[in-house]
Amino acid sequence: MSTETAVMPEADVPPAPEHQRLSAGRRRGRRARKDRAGYLFLLPWFIGMLFTVVPFFASLYLAFTDYNLLNPPKWIGLENFTAMFRDPVLVKSLKVTFVYTFVSVPLSLAAALGVAMILNKGIRALPVYRAVFYLPSLLGASVAVVLLWRYVFGLDGIVNALLGWFGAPAIAWTSDPDYALTTLIILHVWTFGSPMVIFLAGLRQIPVMYYEAAAVDGASRWRRFRSITLPLLSPIIFFNLIQSLIASFQTFTQGFVMNDGGGGPANSTLFYNLYLYQQGFNQFHMGYASAMAWTLLVIIAAFTALTFFSAKYWVNYDN
Amino acid sequence: MKAGGLGLAAAPALAACGRGFGGGGDDDSGDGVTLNMVWWGDATRAEKTQAALDLFKERHEGVEIEVEYQDSGPYQDKLATRFAAGDPPDLMAMRMDSLREYADRDALLDLNEYAGDLDLSGLSDNAATIAEVGDRVYGVPAGLNTVGFVIRTDFAEQYGVPIPDGDTWGWDDLAAFAKAITDASGGEVYGTGFEAQTLANILVFTRQRGEDFFTEDDRLGVTAATVQAWFELVNGMRDEGGFPPAGFFENIGGSADQSYVAQGKIASQIIPTNNFLGYNEACGGTLVLLRMPGETQGARRGQSIDCPHLWSVASASKHPEEALQLLDFLLNDAEASLATGTTRGVPANADVAEEIKPSLEPDDQAATDFLIALQGEDLPRSLLYPPGGSAVFDFLDALAVEVEFGRVSPADAAAQFIEQAEGAIAG
Repeated sequence: MSTETAVMPEADVPPAPEHQRLSAGRRRGRRARKDRAGYLFLLPWFIGMLFTVVPFFASLYLAFTDYNLLNPPKWIGLENFTAMFRDPVLVKSLKVTFVYTFVSVPLSLAAALGVAMILNKGIRALPVYRAVFYLPSLLGASVAVVLLWRYVFGLDGIVNALLGWFGAPAIAWTSDPDYALTTLIILHVWTFGSPMVIFLAGLRQIPVMYYEAAAVDGASRWRRFRSITLPLLSPIIFFNLIQSLIASFQTFTQGFVMNDGGGGPANSTLFYNLYLYQQGFNQFHMGYASAMAWTLLVIIAAFTALTFFSAKYWVNYDN
Repeated sequence: MKAGGLGLAAAPALAACGRGFGGGGDDDSGDGVTLNMVWWGDATRAEKTQAALDLFKERHEGVEIEVEYQDSGPYQDKLATRFAAGDPPDLMAMRMDSLREYADRDALLDLNEYAGDLDLSGLSDNAATIAEVGDRVYGVPAGLNTVGFVIRTDFAEQYGVPIPDGDTWGWDDLAAFAKAITDASGGEVYGTGFEAQTLANILVFTRQRGEDFFTEDDRLGVTAATVQAWFELVNGMRDEGGFPPAGFFENIGGSADQSYVAQGKIASQIIPTNNFLGYNEACGGTLVLLRMPGETQGARRGQSIDCPHLWSVASASKHPEEALQLLDFLLNDAEASLATGTTRGVPANADVAEEIKPSLEPDDQAATDFLIALQGEDLPRSLLYPPGGSAVFDFLDALAVEVEFGRVSPADAAAQFIEQAEGAIAG
């Protein structure tokens, strides 16, 4: 049961994951000796932060410059940002990223919750199943799996062989611009393991007596799910939603590997971050790439804020 | 977590603060000079290159060479990052299409200023000035190659389709050959297949129509009519069945063993000539090497003498003399070329090329003869890409796929391409 203890504490703090960690302020009132220990534990984070903060502000500066990597950056004000409005490829990459996020995040959360509920039924060898379902999310964004995916969905791959049994024509899953993004969305949905593990932990926190009482009152299965599971699980759904949204907006590897760094076919898998990378490192437009990075930050912040704002209408915090 | 994307964009700035990424040239103690040399390629190329470098080190005591090599994709990014970090390699492989990005920003050494250290007299005029910008030269060809058409003779025999005369065939002959193979094989094997978006391919077609893809004054020379004709040429063959259907070409990796021609799915394709040996081995020795179609029917010749990559020296190199010494050795020393073989094409120095030819494998000899014969003819010269030119490939790539799947007509794609490409070059 060692995996369980590793997972539980994470599930205990779902509602406010990020900012609680940032504000060490709560500890200030305690004794100095305890403070020191706290800071000592934070030390790795402080050291790591140095490596983040310097590039962070450097890229903020570069976003307002014309920087080609070889000559010193030249200040050009907002030109990078105004140029973004005139860049049809950037618009295309935003579209790809939005479609990917808004289709794959709900689907993968639904899959995660569904599997978590099945596993929560007290199946024997639960840790084994849990590990099996979790595995893809460890591997999903890795180069090896995307390559494997290329073969599974290749013209002569397993998927087309299965379709062939039903008489369906072969589909060029990875090289047809109409299907390439769909293929990556399926890959994303398949990697539902990490929200699933968190859902599973959350489901176990829901007292069984609620279900028993509801069953006695004659509530249907669907009714129990809607009126007990969903409300009591909502903080965890909220946490998973935020995590998935942020990660999904930053998707890079899948588009990079699937088509050898290109985002093809016909830019149909050109994720925003991939285009950013191409601009910075292939086209020598590092100033523009930095401006793109900051724009992405604003987009992610806006959607995160929106989700937080919506939380008061559907997230249930009182037990 | 949110800063992930930002860290990526800003990494070079961090590196510019003084933390290099390895790289050499820091060790100046005594006579010891350490050159940092970077290039892309596979393990075979690495082995052959190392053999040549070992010879060099034997003759030049006190010079150490720190080699880094990798795949061609990430190579570009790494090189850009090294320059941004102020820690460029001394001697590097440089792509023809990115030379101007570096040269125009004074990042590379003008080799004309070091004419005493680097002897270019053994090279043809075309080869010696292939990386000339104005009156400066920023690189020398690591070898010479061009594109050619390979045909599997076993399929031609099996299906009873005669192989056209490779010196005089036209694009119509290719289409007829391809259709005949596909028909005779009952669709088992497609007659031909190549990527419409590969610049090297459309470049030949463009020249045959009397245009240059990029002009000498850094503009887009190719016309919409030519791009449209190119797309229509491929579409025509696809409609007839000689060319595989849309979506057929997937990303299967670049090696000869994995190629469709080696898998027996297509009977002919375009290759860079320096890969002939590898492809022929992968096809069991059944390949024959032809010139590109349309060379005798067009307004002028389309083939040109190119190079797989250039060797360039960083202008910030602390040891330019030693770097040039090494470059001179790789370029002009027959023993060096004996060691490297034709992994980067036929040696640019014509005497060296002749000298090592007898010791090459028969396939390499064939490719060498092919190139030497072309070199003796009056061909248009290979022009450098203007800065911003590498973005042009991305546009062509995306539009070629749109055309392939019938989402955009060849005429519309051509018009869009011209507009986008002109924007990228001007910007």
